[in-house]
Amino acid sequence: WRVMRGRTAGWIGTIAIGLAFVCAIGATASLLGHTESDRQLTSSLWTYASAAGLDIKLGILVDPLSAFMILVVSGVSTLIHLYSVAYLDSDRGYSRYFAYLNFFVFSMLLLVLAGNFVLLIVGWAFVGFASYALISFWYRRETATRAGMKAFVINVVGDIGLVLAAFLIFRELGSFDYGTVFAKAPEVFSTNQWSVTAICLLLLVGAFAKSAQLPLHTWLPDAMEGPTPVSSLIHAATMVTAGVYLIARTHALFVLAPTAADIAAFVGLATLLVAATIALVMTDLKRAIAYSTMSQIGYMVVGVSIGAYGAGMFHLMTHAFFKALLFMAAGSIIAAMANEQNIDRMSGFGRAMRFTSVTMLCGGLALAAFPLTSGFFSKDEILAYAGARGGMYITFTVLGYFGAFLTAIYTFRLIFRVLQGEPCAEARELIETGHVHHAHPFNPATGEEEDTDVGFPGPEHHIAESSAPMRVAMAVLAFLALVGGLVQVPGVDNVIANWLDPVFADSPLAAIHPSTEWSWIGLGIGGVISLAGIWVAHWLYIANPERPRALEQRLQGVHDFLFRKWYFDEAIDVLVVRPALAVGRFANRVFERFVVDGLVNGTEETVRGTSGVIRAVQNGFVRSYALLLIAGFAGLALYFLLSSS
Amino acid sequence: MINVLLWAPLAFGLVGLFLPRRAAGPWAVLGALVTLGVAVGMTIGFNQGDSGLQYVESTPWISGLGVDYSLGLDGLNLFLVLLTALLWTGGIAFAAFRDYERPKTFFLLMLMAETATLGSFLAQDLLLFVLFFDFMLVPFYFLFGAWGHDRTAEGGPTAWAATLKMIIYTLIGSLLMLVAAIATAIISADGGHITFSIQALQEQGLSLGSQRWIFWFFAAAFLVKMPAFLVHGWMPDAYRAAPLPVLAVFSGVLAKVGAYGFLRIVLPLFPEATIEYQEVVLVIALASILYGSVMAFTQTNVRLIAGYSSVAQLGFITAGIFALRADGSDGAVLQMVNHGLVVAPIFVIVAILFERTGSEDIREMGGMALRAPVLAALFLIVALATLAMPGSSNFVGEFYILNGLFQAKIVFAFIAISGVAMSAYYALRLYQGAMHNRKPEGLLSREIGWRDAVVLVPLVLCILGLALYPQLILKRTNPSVQQTVAKVTGGSAPQSKLAAQTEESGWTGYAPIGDR
Repeated sequence: WRVMRGRTAGWIGTIAIGLAFVCAIGATASLLGHTESDRQLTSSLWTYASAAGLDIKLGILVDPLSAFMILVVSGVSTLIHLYSVAYLDSDRGYSRYFAYLNFFVFSMLLLVLAGNFVLLIVGWAFVGFASYALISFWYRRETATRAGMKAFVINVVGDIGLVLAAFLIFRELGSFDYGTVFAKAPEVFSTNQWSVTAICLLLLVGAFAKSAQLPLHTWLPDAMEGPTPVSSLIHAATMVTAGVYLIARTHALFVLAPTAADIAAFVGLATLLVAATIALVMTDLKRAIAYSTMSQIGYMVVGVSIGAYGAGMFHLMTHAFFKALLFMAAGSIIAAMANEQNIDRMSGFGRAMRFTSVTMLCGGLALAAFPLTSGFFSKDEILAYAGARGGMYITFTVLGYFGAFLTAIYTFRLIFRVLQGEPCAEARELIETGHVHHAHPFNPATGEEEDTDVGFPGPEHHIAESSAPMRVAMAVLAFLALVGGLVQVPGVDNVIANWLDPVFADSPLAAIHPSTEWSWIGLGIGGVISLAGIWVAHWLYIANPERPRALEQRLQGVHDFLFRKWYFDEAIDVLVVRPALAVGRFANRVFERFVVDGLVNGTEETVRGTSGVIRAVQNGFVRSYALLLIAGFAGLALYFLLSSS
Repeated sequence: MINVLLWAPLAFGLVGLFLPRRAAGPWAVLGALVTLGVAVGMTIGFNQGDSGLQYVESTPWISGLGVDYSLGLDGLNLFLVLLTALLWTGGIAFAAFRDYERPKTFFLLMLMAETATLGSFLAQDLLLFVLFFDFMLVPFYFLFGAWGHDRTAEGGPTAWAATLKMIIYTLIGSLLMLVAAIATAIISADGGHITFSIQALQEQGLSLGSQRWIFWFFAAAFLVKMPAFLVHGWMPDAYRAAPLPVLAVFSGVLAKVGAYGFLRIVLPLFPEATIEYQEVVLVIALASILYGSVMAFTQTNVRLIAGYSSVAQLGFITAGIFALRADGSDGAVLQMVNHGLVVAPIFVIVAILFERTGSEDIREMGGMALRAPVLAALFLIVALATLAMPGSSNFVGEFYILNGLFQAKIVFAFIAISGVAMSAYYALRLYQGAMHNRKPEGLLSREIGWRDAVVLVPLVLCILGLALYPQLILKRTNPSVQQTVAKVTGGSAPQSKLAAQTEESGWTGYAPIGDR
């Protein structure tokens, strides 16, 4: 049942992405050969669609921003591919999986390398399709196909926002090309002019759909139906960071539309808080991490919207490291649980799976911004910038720290509940016999039996402890998650921000820098908050394990509200889905029958009733029709004869 | 050359009558292939910078009436002719691999239909166009009626009844068009020498009063043919009755004759009326988009999902033409080709699915991707092109159309684009419904055979090729489209009396970049 033997497809896929990473390094090196102001290389493959004043080429742009993105995307993707080589080994859809996975990375690279808005939209939509294909990878699961459809349709809504933004850009600036658009924008637009604000808001529709920001986020948690490495890819390297990239890329427009930028920042803030509260109560391991992603993307959106471009991109990178790692660790545990994802059923994996739990702890510490880990530096840099910008932007600092507190709690809630405590049956089996638990495959969401024909993992589940490729990928990421933040330590070095500087030099906001002292004070506060959050989690889940249950009962209403994810799905169902279907049903049952057909039947009956001649026409139709044509021409001829005489 | 292109199908069809039954199919395929070869040859020889007619053939036919037998190719019809030749080859090949009753008559009618369709694309004489336009109906009447499916068991009409309904609809439009064509020639001649040549009529011009009613007579014929919202009543029954290979060419090509008619005849001949009724037609087009999309995602019959999606797509094409900008019309021409290229494979796939499931109800399908991965992959590509996924040529077409509409009438563009989101849902639902989820009991899930692959794979390759290089079409159509649209709006230098008004037409209008 495999086209290629063994793991061939997996290795081909991994090597291809590895080569892309090497090329990305090459691109970066060639940029280094240019002076700072000159680091902008464009190239176009062929004229794609140019007519009637629209000039659309397959043009790419390599500048420090896209070079940074391709490094992160291809680098992290290589590791995720490596992990998948082993993890998906027993899956029947092995080759198909790697075909989709490589297409996904290609799409993301296209997205970040595009040199004009049309090619950006193409990459944007390809990413959406790739996510659809991978989310509904196990396509005989009804839950998976529905989740894929949801992701695709919401992403199309985002695409539409981008397309409309492109039309408006073309209307105002007469081009789709990045270079022309960003150069012309300051000349054409005055600050907060309605058209530039409209462009930015439409761009945000696209960014929010892809980056799972409120209210277009509902596809992301459902996307957990896909294989776990896919979640790792979507959350770390590809897809959700696209919105952050888009805002950074079009910062020249957002600088001219500060209102739109503020809206983006506040949506990011709202998302980071809402998602963090939901992550506190989720019992599905992957979904809890997914909400954490939403929350962290919220930080990045805040960052690039308020002008902390370097910090936002820095957080994008560190988040890619630790989030990819967390999903890999979760995948390893879920494999050991035979695809059970509910943390209520997990405990005591710390002893059963040493390597997985150590790496998961590394990822968790980085996510919780434990002092000196990567997340510690990157998150605080955004908040410090907001503080330095002052005014109402202090809000972002204060609430951002509150979000960080929640982050530490929910992260260590997962870690304590999964790794600590009395080993559950599956963990015990692993400790005692060294075998991974085998269960009859069933869909945990619906309880229906899995169709094992369609590439659902066979009896061989793969955990990191027994698979070298998985271990290598996780070890590299664990290392990066711990020390990746050292590239940008206040007062010491500033690698990423300096590298990106030429791209953002035109933005007046880039000139704002928090002082080194304040940065360190911010880091101190962040460290204390992180430790406090971890302590709260410890107090709740280790010291007083009965406490969470009691809290849940006392705050039943709040818990339900959070557990139902703030009722976003239900609201969208009532406001959009049901009305659309109702209109469709009405059109089908009433309109089509009575108006459209009624029109004809009415005419037909009138005609039948009044004219025997016409009835004859209808009966011997074709013959009469021919006659009628001939008669028509004869009449015509007669007319000319008469008129010419 | 152009005569060979036009009459080769009919000639092959007639010769086929004298061949043994078993040879009828292969012979018809050969005929379609020869036609396709000629069409490809003419496309290669086409001078792409030229906006005027090429390969012109013009001889007086009924000289007393000023009717010429005049044919020609330009950017407007070049790729529609190629599309016709291609889809007919596919449709005939698909049918040739199956057993149809009375094969000789069947293939004769198919080839006759091809000649009629090519004729209406090639005709450069108004009356010749009307003749071919009406002549198209005759073979399809018999093909739908005699080889179609009776739906009496499902509470629907018989094949003949459904066909009759279609004929009544189309005929009313056609007769109005005949009257309008004659009136155009006579009023234009104004007592002088009568001519039906489209070229000559453009120069003579009509008074706005005459243009007004003649515009609607032509529009009626074209809108019914598409079909557009409110005059689509014939579509559901006829689509359910039609034999699938015939439906593939019918839906793929014939609907475009209507849209093409607007570009070839209505815009250049009745420019003032076009401007006057621009918003009315746009409203009809928008209604088609929204109504077609909403219907498409509530249908369960796969034919009707494709049928209503065509209503929506033709709505986009009409909207592009009536944006009255070169980009909108460029997109419309490109989209006509794209839509033909996706809707024909869909009906071929529907036929393949029907052979496996014995049903055309999407609820009774599913799970086929496992045993038929190649079929699933082909279907997926077609479905993605149908929903105008960026990266497909359909996206480029829709992008041009909507950009034209956006720059011309911004409010209409915002409404029209909601159809894009709906198309994502119904196209994917169609694909998922057939290929994913659980496999129902009794469904034969087997891979596509080479006979079907021979038909389907080349069409999918065309979709992929165009996706990589839509410029192939845009480059060749643009000069002619620019010229056609300029006849209405006057381009940069207004020639039409009402051209100035298009630039300041209220809150739905726009001011172009240079003029502010």
